[in-house]
Amino acid sequence: MAKFIPNSPKLNQKKRMFYALMAFSIIFAMLILRLMWVQFVDGGKYQQMAIEQQTKDSIITSKRGIIYDRNGKVLAQSASVDTVAITPREAMKEKNIDKVAQDLASILEMDKEEVLKKLTKTSSGYEILKRKIDSNQSKKIKELGYKGIYLIEDSKRYYPYGSLASHVIGFVGDDNQGLNGIEMIYDKYLKGVPGRVVTAKNALGTDMPYKYEKHINAQNGVNVVLTIDEVIQHFAEKYLKEAVEKYQVENGGACIIMNAKTGEILAMATYPDYDLNAPFTLTNPKHIEQLEGLEGEERSKKLYELRNLMWRNKAVVDTYEPGSTYKSFVAAMALEENVVDLDHPFDCPGYAVYNGVRIRCHKTTGHGSLTFKSGVENSCNPVFMAVGSLVGKSAFTRYHKLFGFTKPTGFDLPGEASGIFFSEDNFNELELATSSFGQGFNITPLQLVTALTAITNDGVMVKPRIVKELVDDNGVVVETFETEQIRQVISKDTAKTVREILEGVVTNGTSKNAYIKGYRVAGKTGTSEKQPRGNGKYVASFLGFAPADDPEIIGLVMLDEPGTHLYMGGQIAAPTFKNIFDDTLRYLGIEPKYTEEEMADKGQMVPKVEGMSVEDAKMQFGGLKLEYKIIGSGENVLEQNPKGGITVPSGSVVMLYTEESEVSEVVVPDVVGKTAVEANQILTNSRLNMKVGDSTSESGESYVASQSPAAGETVSTGTIVTVEILHKDVH
Amino acid sequence: MDFKSKDRKSIDFTFLILVIALLIYGLIMVFSASSASAHYYNGDAFFFIKKQGLFAILGLFGMWIMSVIDINLIKKFITPVLLVTLVLLILVLIPGVGMEINGARRWIGISSISFQPSELAKYVIILFVANSLSVRKEPLDSFLKDLMPYLMVIALFAGLVFLEDHLSGAIVIAFLGCLILYVAGAKNSHFVALGVAGVILIIFGIIFEPYRMARFTTFLDPFKDPLGSGFQIVQSFYAIGSGGFFGLGLGQSRQKYLYIPEPHNDFIFSIICEEHGFFGAVLLIILFALLIWRGIKIAMAAPDVFTSLTTTGIIGLVAFQTVVNIAVVTGSMPVTGMPLPFFSYGGSALAFLLTSMGFVLNVSRNLEKEEIKEIEE
Repeated sequence: MAKFIPNSPKLNQKKRMFYALMAFSIIFAMLILRLMWVQFVDGGKYQQMAIEQQTKDSIITSKRGIIYDRNGKVLAQSASVDTVAITPREAMKEKNIDKVAQDLASILEMDKEEVLKKLTKTSSGYEILKRKIDSNQSKKIKELGYKGIYLIEDSKRYYPYGSLASHVIGFVGDDNQGLNGIEMIYDKYLKGVPGRVVTAKNALGTDMPYKYEKHINAQNGVNVVLTIDEVIQHFAEKYLKEAVEKYQVENGGACIIMNAKTGEILAMATYPDYDLNAPFTLTNPKHIEQLEGLEGEERSKKLYELRNLMWRNKAVVDTYEPGSTYKSFVAAMALEENVVDLDHPFDCPGYAVYNGVRIRCHKTTGHGSLTFKSGVENSCNPVFMAVGSLVGKSAFTRYHKLFGFTKPTGFDLPGEASGIFFSEDNFNELELATSSFGQGFNITPLQLVTALTAITNDGVMVKPRIVKELVDDNGVVVETFETEQIRQVISKDTAKTVREILEGVVTNGTSKNAYIKGYRVAGKTGTSEKQPRGNGKYVASFLGFAPADDPEIIGLVMLDEPGTHLYMGGQIAAPTFKNIFDDTLRYLGIEPKYTEEEMADKGQMVPKVEGMSVEDAKMQFGGLKLEYKIIGSGENVLEQNPKGGITVPSGSVVMLYTEESEVSEVVVPDVVGKTAVEANQILTNSRLNMKVGDSTSESGESYVASQSPAAGETVSTGTIVTVEILHKDVH
Repeated sequence: MDFKSKDRKSIDFTFLILVIALLIYGLIMVFSASSASAHYYNGDAFFFIKKQGLFAILGLFGMWIMSVIDINLIKKFITPVLLVTLVLLILVLIPGVGMEINGARRWIGISSISFQPSELAKYVIILFVANSLSVRKEPLDSFLKDLMPYLMVIALFAGLVFLEDHLSGAIVIAFLGCLILYVAGAKNSHFVALGVAGVILIIFGIIFEPYRMARFTTFLDPFKDPLGSGFQIVQSFYAIGSGGFFGLGLGQSRQKYLYIPEPHNDFIFSIICEEHGFFGAVLLIILFALLIWRGIKIAMAAPDVFTSLTTTGIIGLVAFQTVVNIAVVTGSMPVTGMPLPFFSYGGSALAFLLTSMGFVLNVSRNLEKEEIKEIEE
């Protein structure tokens, strides 16, 4: 080492200074690299976190979309309302807190103690006093001007039609979140995107000395246009309600009306229904009864259960044994597989035995020998069991799957069930036999209707859908849902043949009660016995379509556990179907086409003969299929009954009164339960006219189900008594 | 003193310009960073910058004096100042005499007129070690005989500062002492031994002091407790990350709005990163690097050992503090509370710093030009 000489830095020292400089330079370079890492690699993440802590968000609520029916009628709409919130600590600054509570309680129709309890809850920074109050209440609260009481902008959902399509539309919760039906499934479209106001804040949460504010406008929700037609929905609900009440249907009923070509649901009803404007209020008196006497947790548990039952969309969620309605599909598969033709001979001794089990036909005496076609028309179980065997287990299972009975249809409403069927190795001869008449497996009403599209739509099954399109705030269509074909299940020819057979079921067979004069209705009744067998509980249903030659609409009526002696599909579901279809077909503007027979049976118009001389009056009846009876011995007809211009059935008697005070009165006799012929005789004997409440073909055995005016009423002679004729042969 | 001597050579203007540039940038940033918390807590956005500005003027005055003074005059004061500093370092530890701010007793004085003896100690140790080495005739060969006496004095000062709970100050003093000894020609092997001893000391210091251990674990994962121990460094990351390449612009920092505690202090660099981005940060580092390069160049060309070693010490002080500060703020090492020279708020520190810059300028008048060439070849 060089000798150390003071007073002048030596080379060695300078070297070391240079080393120190180098060392620092290297460290600086490393720090720059480190800085790049923090600033660029992790920078985005840190920036995001920084922005989160530096800003505060206020939400601007978005307007929830409207739900329309297919014709633009508003089914659900939101309106601005206020929610009352309090900050107890602020409110407690009011001198007379008791008066505050009293005033609020009277305006908001609340219990004063409850209000006081919330006002004095100073441990809480924020309490909701009452949600969604009306504008009148808002105004009054603003006028009071108490400290610590705030009105927060909120929105309330209104359902103009109340309970209409309640199971389809669904409802929203306190925070306007969809809780059921379309409101739930389409929530993400309906709710929109809430906007935000972002303001800068310092670490204390107070505002910054400079102004920083960013508005992100709320995006209003998208409007949902349903395929539902409010009018058809109304028809469906009206007659379904009538049927459920009239036949004391224990578990309620469901009805689906669908466009046969597109799969669009025109109506979907479940009864009992509920009020969408008060969705948490039980509507079924039986349910309310069940709740009586219960308290505390037991009560809330029961209430929860009953509400879920009330909200249950039977048409989609319930599974049941379809019974004979399923025979339509068995017929289709048999024809498609070519194992039968229309004239294939069968014999029905009234029962059949499979795997040692004797299975009865509904006609215990047996149908005797019949063709395949008449077997379907008579809904003969032994025929179908035989057809099932001819089809065979594997083909049967295959078609069952092809018709979509083993999978949900992928429908847009919550809770769709999938159906239950035998596993392949579990499917024996006996089960094949019962399956052939629709018992032993479960499906949903919606699956049944969907499967029928294969028959109405030349073999191509279409997907059911309830939403037609999505339309934004400005009326621009965001998305349109098109008809979606699922698959070709059967050939066009088979479909056509099945349609003809099913039309025959209505005109000649067990579904006569679904007959509508002027329309070609096709369909199949169903009455399935609920498990366990022999308990006397049934599901009555009718599955049909019209017009039979070129189907426009499909319909299903299903009544779960009727409680009257009338319980069969043909007795109670078919007439309900008929009523709904009659109104719907006319509403849809599908022209009735009367057959010659129907034309002939359209009745006769009563000529107006009042004021004429008896002789002239007699002349008026010439050539008409009407009879007349002159009462009294006057020269002129003073009064007539029925009046002129009214159409009455051919052969009716018109009373012609020729003297004052000759108008005689009679008490209407009871003809309910009589055959049409008997009823006509009885009424004619009482000098009354009978009119069959439109429709239903004349053939076959029939009986009077109801009459109007009712038995016991006093009416003038000649009055028309309208009777409802139902057919007996209605399995 | 010879203020008016006509034959006085001129100072190194490059160095002066760098000092002034750093000072101005530093003052701007102290104002920008402190304005928010000054506004909220002191009710006057100019609260800190006024004080800092005053000390800057004082410091510039000190710098001028120091740049023209006869250096031999300084030498005479070294021993008395050393003793006074020693007394002050002991006095500050006595409760009632030393002022306690934020839990650390580092200040002497009455209310606003106060200063940190530890700040003085940094410069005193530089002057003392440099001076005493410059008058030595023998090389620093023996560890015990030659090196130990210096190490003991350094340890005494560093120890006293450490007792003030001022770890960073103690580390700076130890570092400066060692740096000068190294440059003066102490053996490499001794430094390796010293280095090993130092590392062991630091490890023990961390392990046996729970709060230092906590700082160390926080350094490893600041996001484990972002609102507690990791708060400062996490907030610093937010500021740096928000800056991007060109930053949010002067005065546009959001993190200074009470998020980063005392943003004008040890973490001012993160505000610089936020407002001026990577660009501003690198500019700052380059300014420091140039200052250090220029300073070392002056030290190398200094006419005698005393000025050479003192300049090295002064430049080493700036360099060491800068490096440690930036390393802490960027999360590259545990938090130690090291200020950033020229930038961090602190009046007496700035005044002392500028005065010491004056010393370097004084040295720059009498450079041996040939010597520089020799090294550059």
